Amino acid sequence: MSSPGVYDGAADVIAALMLLLEFGMLRQALVRDQVRLYAAQSALISVLAIVIAADRNLPDLYALAALSGTLKVVVVPLVLRRLLGSPDGEETPGVAGSYTLSPASAVLAAIGLAAFGFFSFGSLGISSPEAPATALAIAGAMVFVAFGLMIVRRDVASQAIGFFSLENAISLASLVVAAGLPLLLETAFLFDLLLAVVVFAMLIRAHHARSESLSTADLTKLRG
Amino acid sequence: MSAAVPIPLIQLLQVLTVALAAPGLTGVIAKVEARLQGRRGPRVLQPYYDLAKLVRKESLAPEGASWFFLAAPLVAVAAYLTIPLLIPVLTTYGLPLGYLGDILGGGFLLSLASFVIAAAALETGSPYAQLGSSRAKTFSAITEPVVLFVVFTVALLTGTDLPYHMAAVVRSSAGQVIRPAHLLASAALFMVILLETGRIPVETHTGTNEFGMIEEARSFEHSGPYLALLRWGGELKQFILFTILADVFVVPWGLASTQRLGDVVLAIAALLAKAVAVGCVVAVIDDSFAKLRLFKITEYASAAFLLAVLGVFTMYLGGG
Amino acid sequence: MIGVMLALLAVPLAAGIASFFGPARAGAGITVTSGIACFGLVLALIPHVAHGTVSYLSYLRADAVSGVFLLATAFLYAAVAVYAVGYLHGRSDVYARRFYLGFNIFAWAMLAAPLMGSLALLWIAIEVTTVVSALLIAIEDTDGAAEASWKYVLIASAGLGLALLATIFAYYAGAQVLGVHSDLAIGPLLRAGGRLPATPVRLAFLLAVLGYGTKVGLFPVHTWLPDAHSEAPTPVSALLSGALLATSFYAILRFYQVAAAALGSGFPRDTLLAFGIASLLLASLYVFGQRDVKRFLAYSSVEHMGILAIGVSFGAPIALAGVMLHVMAHAAAKGNAFMGAGVLTVKYRTKQMAAMRGGLALLPWSGPLFLLSIFALSAFPPSGIFRSEFQIVAGGLASGNYAAAAALVVLVTVAFFGLATAATSMLLTSPPQPPQPPRSGTRQAAQAPAQEQVPARGEPSVWMVVPVLAGVAVLLVLGVHPPGEITGLITRAAAQLGGTP
Repeated sequence: MSSPGVYDGAADVIAALMLLLEFGMLRQALVRDQVRLYAAQSALISVLAIVIAADRNLPDLYALAALSGTLKVVVVPLVLRRLLGSPDGEETPGVAGSYTLSPASAVLAAIGLAAFGFFSFGSLGISSPEAPATALAIAGAMVFVAFGLMIVRRDVASQAIGFFSLENAISLASLVVAAGLPLLLETAFLFDLLLAVVVFAMLIRAHHARSESLSTADLTKLRG
Repeated sequence: MSAAVPIPLIQLLQVLTVALAAPGLTGVIAKVEARLQGRRGPRVLQPYYDLAKLVRKESLAPEGASWFFLAAPLVAVAAYLTIPLLIPVLTTYGLPLGYLGDILGGGFLLSLASFVIAAAALETGSPYAQLGSSRAKTFSAITEPVVLFVVFTVALLTGTDLPYHMAAVVRSSAGQVIRPAHLLASAALFMVILLETGRIPVETHTGTNEFGMIEEARSFEHSGPYLALLRWGGELKQFILFTILADVFVVPWGLASTQRLGDVVLAIAALLAKAVAVGCVVAVIDDSFAKLRLFKITEYASAAFLLAVLGVFTMYLGGG
Repeated sequence: MIGVMLALLAVPLAAGIASFFGPARAGAGITVTSGIACFGLVLALIPHVAHGTVSYLSYLRADAVSGVFLLATAFLYAAVAVYAVGYLHGRSDVYARRFYLGFNIFAWAMLAAPLMGSLALLWIAIEVTTVVSALLIAIEDTDGAAEASWKYVLIASAGLGLALLATIFAYYAGAQVLGVHSDLAIGPLLRAGGRLPATPVRLAFLLAVLGYGTKVGLFPVHTWLPDAHSEAPTPVSALLSGALLATSFYAILRFYQVAAAALGSGFPRDTLLAFGIASLLLASLYVFGQRDVKRFLAYSSVEHMGILAIGVSFGAPIALAGVMLHVMAHAAAKGNAFMGAGVLTVKYRTKQMAAMRGGLALLPWSGPLFLLSIFALSAFPPSGIFRSEFQIVAGGLASGNYAAAAALVVLVTVAFFGLATAATSMLLTSPPQPPQPPRSGTRQAAQAPAQEQVPARGEPSVWMVVPVLAGVAVLLVLGVHPPGEITGLITRAAAQLGGTP
């Protein structure tokens, strides 16, 4: 079997690591660790942007990597940590044990989701000289695992982190298939993420103030 | 340095290297571990002395144990000594007996050894030995699929299931080294090796707490030369697994590509260096993590499974 | 015309900021002024977009389709701004400031969306509507509002994540034809048409329907919608239902145009038909058995969004014209219904329909107007919705979709029964009677609080009647004889959706 080449291999490995971190977030019980994993995942996105920038000669992407790094590796985790941890460093109740499935079943279910995402994106046959097909398929798997994370965990912290990592998955997809997307638009997307973070933060704080917990198990009043 | 080593001798050297170096590797790991903890630690040669001491001791068997109890250590060591014939230990080219079995054949031999030890432990009626073997079998049932998926990855990468070919593919280009399938399979294999050799985070290798034991507990009732065989077998298994990891997956460089004496000697040196390097990594892990609770080991195994499955996934699209 | 478009983008933003930082009591005035000004600006823009596409670089672009959605949003913005004066009842505290800030920015984002010249900017505008409206729902500091806003922001953000993925694949498709530095501008994408690669476009369209469909409230991604609509402050509910859903549908329409140009209309139409029928079916059944008046209206919104999707799937020019008319008429009718429901809620101090009795007798204006709005929503002639649904069904028959057209008629009728039953029970019953005079002195104390519960006859505020009257007038005009400019706009928009550039 032919070798995929160093550049593709590197991009694919970074993508695979991001997917593994996604699984880590699914598995982690503590918010602190989840946020750490999210920061690591975001850092990988920046690294990937730099790799692509160097290989494809797209200087725009250096700026994007810097911007995305500042925002997603520094600002967002900082906000989340400030928001979700209590001041004395103890874990806010409601996150650990918010599983609807047992951890092992959750991981197995997520493997199933990842397989679905991987092969459905992989079978599209979207590839071009610029796009390593495997990285795109991994982004597809990540999208599904992020959805899984939002579904199996019943707490606002995991759900918010699930959403942010969903955004990472989409960033990965956009780096792979749309590396040439004008910097202006990419920046606008990032700005929008920031906006979403602020809103999530406000709602999480409201929820926390109201129920003294991050669990969403009691959000069952509205039905029908 | 132009003297050519005859092929049968190289074949013999493979087995001899593994057989003789294996206790030394255990000694090195124990030494490094001790140093990391700030102790002086035992001598590197300590395992050899231990074996020698055991061989000299008298041997007892529990009442009611059959011939199988005493035959098991012999079978296990025989199996372990056969495996080095199948894998690239010293050479890049396949040796005649290398085609006795493929990567699955090696796996079967490892399982056979593990099975006879467990079965012998059942003979004894000792609760700890039985506990150890039942645990060992439980976890190997979980790691089996991981190993299978690693094998699938190898098969998909090379189109065969021969370890020599896998090593050759990895050597062929940098692109092969960095592809996710290769890295993920290597990582999964490494996790399985930690589990199989009874290392942290699965088991305290040097512990005396019977409740946490898995591999160690199985040899409780053996004594004298038979216990020496079992110990040696465990060390052989560790060395073989490290060799597979290093020479087939991670760093298949430094192997002899000719029959020249110099190359073969260099290959032996390289092999020992690689095994010690892997051992150092294992020692560092041993010192930096806590032992997992027993029922968390399934999660550890499922993480390894995840790596292996993702490896096959990425392989499937060809690009990975 | 660029000036008008820029003004549309500036006025509501400025109004939001001014009402937050300005004098305490000015918020209401500023918001009403801004609403009416925006409506005026859109009216000024209409004649131009009815005859051609107005664009500025690749950032701003308005054609007839944008015009229709702008008109619907701007009208509702103005009407609800007036209504909010009565709803807030002269409050000038932090709540009111926050409300007006959010309200104006929400309207700003919804007015911006149809003006955006590229699919990426469109996505950004819609994302802004999500975050702002989530905060507007959470502004009611209740358990229900907290739950609804969390569900809404999570589900809608996840949906918009898919929409972003759709946008990226659309870029990928465009970049194959237009080069790496194309920026998703709508015009060039439409012109590239059949040269776009099929698979990415197909994927982009599916993801867009699913992603933006989350905000439109298409089944099965509608689950946030009834919660959010019922827990939000009434003026926000009216904007959510009448304008936001339509604005999100606008985004789907843009993807539809691209997909229809690239793939032919078969695949996009079938997709929309499936989602439309499913939504209509779900909503027409759920309308029955709702207890909360605003939830009940929310399901009616799902129903109407389903009708829009089905109408587009018919593809005949008359059906597309019907869809465009339906967007405007639905904005007016649903805005009216929510505003009327808001009056009932204020009057009875509850959202439970069971507790609302005798609305006609208690509310001399709002009662009949609410009844009219419900009839309008149920497509009674001569309301605009009757005309639009008639056109959609006619288009379905014309294009040979007999089964779908029949299903549409049946399900709309089912929904009508649901609406009519609920409305009559609220309005045409006798008002709750004050309890019988107590026979003995001992029970008097226990019954005194109950006596206070019975509302007196009269309107809560004149501000809450005037916009509803305006809405009824608009519905009548749209239903009986739409002005020439509007007809021209609709005809051109239908032609654009049908494939004429």
